[in-house]
Amino acid sequence: MEKVCTLPQRNHSVSPGTCRLNELGIGCTARVVSVGGDAELRRRLLEMGFCNGAQVQAIRRAPLGDPIEFSLRGYHLSLRKEQARHVKVAPAAGETAGHETE
Amino acid sequence: MSSCCNTKDTLASTKGILTVALAGNPNSGKTTVFNGLTGLRQKVANYPGVTVERKTGRCRLPGGTVAHIIDLPGSYSLISRSPDEQIAMEVLRGLRADTAAPDAVVVVVDASNLQRNLYLVSQLIEMGKPLVVALNMMDVAERRGLHVSPQRLAKQLGVPVVPVVAHKRKGIEQLKRAILEAKVAPMPDWPLPQEMREELLLVGGGLGLLTPQQNLERSKATAERLLIGDRAADLHEIWKQEPVAALLDHAGRRLARLGIDPMQADIEAHYRWIDAVAASSLVPAGQPLAEPDQTRGYAARATLTDRVDAILVHRFWGLVIFAAVMASLFVTIFWLAQPIMNGMQNGIVFVGHWLTHRLPQGPLKSMLNDGVIGGVGTVIAFVPQIALLFFFLAILEDSGYLSRAAFLMDKLLARVGLHGKSFIPLLSSFACAIPGIMAARTIESRRDRLATILIAPFMSCSARLPVYALLIGTFFASHSALVQAGIMLGCYALGILAAVATAWVFKRSLLKGGATAFILELPSYKVPQLSQVARQVWLNAGEFVTKAGTTILAFSVVLWALAYYPRLPAGREQAALLGGGPNAVTAAQSEYSFAGRVGHAMEPALRPLGFDWKMGVGLVGAFAAREVFVSTMGITYAVGDVENGTRNLSAAMRADRYADGRPVWTPLVAISLLVWFVLALQCMSTVAIARRETGGWRWPIFMLVYMNLLAYAVSLAVYQVGSHLGYA
Repeated sequence: MEKVCTLPQRNHSVSPGTCRLNELGIGCTARVVSVGGDAELRRRLLEMGFCNGAQVQAIRRAPLGDPIEFSLRGYHLSLRKEQARHVKVAPAAGETAGHETE
Repeated sequence: MSSCCNTKDTLASTKGILTVALAGNPNSGKTTVFNGLTGLRQKVANYPGVTVERKTGRCRLPGGTVAHIIDLPGSYSLISRSPDEQIAMEVLRGLRADTAAPDAVVVVVDASNLQRNLYLVSQLIEMGKPLVVALNMMDVAERRGLHVSPQRLAKQLGVPVVPVVAHKRKGIEQLKRAILEAKVAPMPDWPLPQEMREELLLVGGGLGLLTPQQNLERSKATAERLLIGDRAADLHEIWKQEPVAALLDHAGRRLARLGIDPMQADIEAHYRWIDAVAASSLVPAGQPLAEPDQTRGYAARATLTDRVDAILVHRFWGLVIFAAVMASLFVTIFWLAQPIMNGMQNGIVFVGHWLTHRLPQGPLKSMLNDGVIGGVGTVIAFVPQIALLFFFLAILEDSGYLSRAAFLMDKLLARVGLHGKSFIPLLSSFACAIPGIMAARTIESRRDRLATILIAPFMSCSARLPVYALLIGTFFASHSALVQAGIMLGCYALGILAAVATAWVFKRSLLKGGATAFILELPSYKVPQLSQVARQVWLNAGEFVTKAGTTILAFSVVLWALAYYPRLPAGREQAALLGGGPNAVTAAQSEYSFAGRVGHAMEPALRPLGFDWKMGVGLVGAFAAREVFVSTMGITYAVGDVENGTRNLSAAMRADRYADGRPVWTPLVAISLLVWFVLALQCMSTVAIARRETGGWRWPIFMLVYMNLLAYAVSLAVYQVGSHLGYA
């Protein structure tokens, strides 16, 4: 069963075709475009593998809505929304970002 | 590519004791490798001045060389402001006076998560220390269809790679042999942007002028660190010296103009190199990896872990299962441990009496019985609880569920600035703050760990229950059971409220700092190994007895002396005996002792809270353990043993009058005292364990001061406002 992913309705991202990582629909895959935030957070995210072009998939939200589990470079990690929003992603080829279910 | 300094002469030629640092990502199985190498010959301490655990051990290498193994805190990176990772970096670079600089580094790599683990390896290669890779979790990788070839990886990295299945002790002997063959890896040619390479050469050249003994490779590596903003102490502020300062400044401005962020470019170059290394060492499902595309090759993760997670972190079932797991943990340490604890404590006291029954009555016998054996009993009584908690924790952590529990609870705790992993320590603290504070070790971030330790004693522990029961039962007996239950519940609620409020304040003041990124890895599920679980239980319980136990014992003897000395003069003893029998003698002795005098001395300060000197004595006694308040009251009121019920004590307390005929105890006094017991830190064992876990007296003293000031202020407010409103 293929999940249909479309760009989020409330798109907080400036550039077209991209959205913030916390807005990526559950089950959707995207590529990292840029990583923002303060230097320490940016370094940490990059070191965990959120490099330019890296493929990332949103797996699930925690039952209380935050944090969000992602899959990246073959492992799973969770980020709080507050951190995930600093990562800008573009839907991987053949897919687009999904609805933000907030 | 040129190779560095001493690749040929391996450590085998070195005689004597080798210092070996064990590095690795969290969840890479580092601890299991450490246990495999060192057995039970481990020492656990704290790095002086920081709340970071320092584990060391010994192991004998083939040929008789002894290796001193330092287990570094689990790290994703060596350039970090996280205290744990900073310690790892400082030890590796030989910057810590308390730890010898390592001769070699063993880095544990999780084969099922090769790329992220190789990032740390890439940083270690840059460091230029002799290196060995322990390739762990090959079995997990195989099950996912990832075949990592140790030979190919070794060829790519230029250092020995030893496949290990640490939890089955496979490959440990080979690893020991490989330590002797550790090699400095050749410096890889990171695929950096051309402009950055040019600037590195320039800055490296400048460095070469300052330190001509370094070859160009090392100078370039140092230049790289400087350019990406690494300012570690081993660089000796070289960035401030000319010509390096000017060259760095120029490089920074040029790269900024070009839109290149050196830090990002550096990390991305490392990952590009890693992707290439992984692609050449990985043979997924028999076919060669066509492109170094990371995620595609790992689609095999749609595995057991995913299927288990679909239930364990499910919106509804996830929470139900979580509640069930936590409830069983709580029941275990709250009720199941209780009879064992009482049994052990009684056993110790019995043995103590048997050992001392031939001694004549006197200070020695009293000290041995009430000070030493009582203290040993207190320490031993904690052991079942700690053992059971660590049994649970080890299973939860080794299986991978602990991370899921943190994932589930994070939102709740994030509101007050805590971490998802603070949940279990705080829950455990409702049974007892000792295991609770020990459980905070599972929190990686030092700040979050400290915040959790600081607020854990606010959770109403089981030792407060007898006090709550006595006060509520004595002064609210005429009220309905509902009111009584409400007051009891109020005590618990007040503690939680105080914890939430102080956590919120601390995270905005004392423990402020850059948003500690909540990056929680969710490792694959594993079946916990019984031997590893047993080892955790054994090591932690043993460590509690030897480290915190000695402090508790010392406190216990001091408290004994306070209650025993000075002795009542013979004349007054006679008078008391004639006046009211043996109970009256004990009561008179108690008032005459230092503890009694402290109670009297504190009375002016306690008056505004509604307390008299007897309660002051009770508070001194409660420092041994809060429930001792009840037996101290029994002594002070000369009603004898309270073991068989507190009815006599309740009656005596209700009947107690000041000289002017006012009752000493009123419901308002009881409430004020309840508030005190909820908020005050008056438990020597909590102080002892906080000292042990934070590595010094600073934090426990801080806890004593702030919690008792808070207790005083709130009790004062309750009593004063209550009195003015006409309650009594």
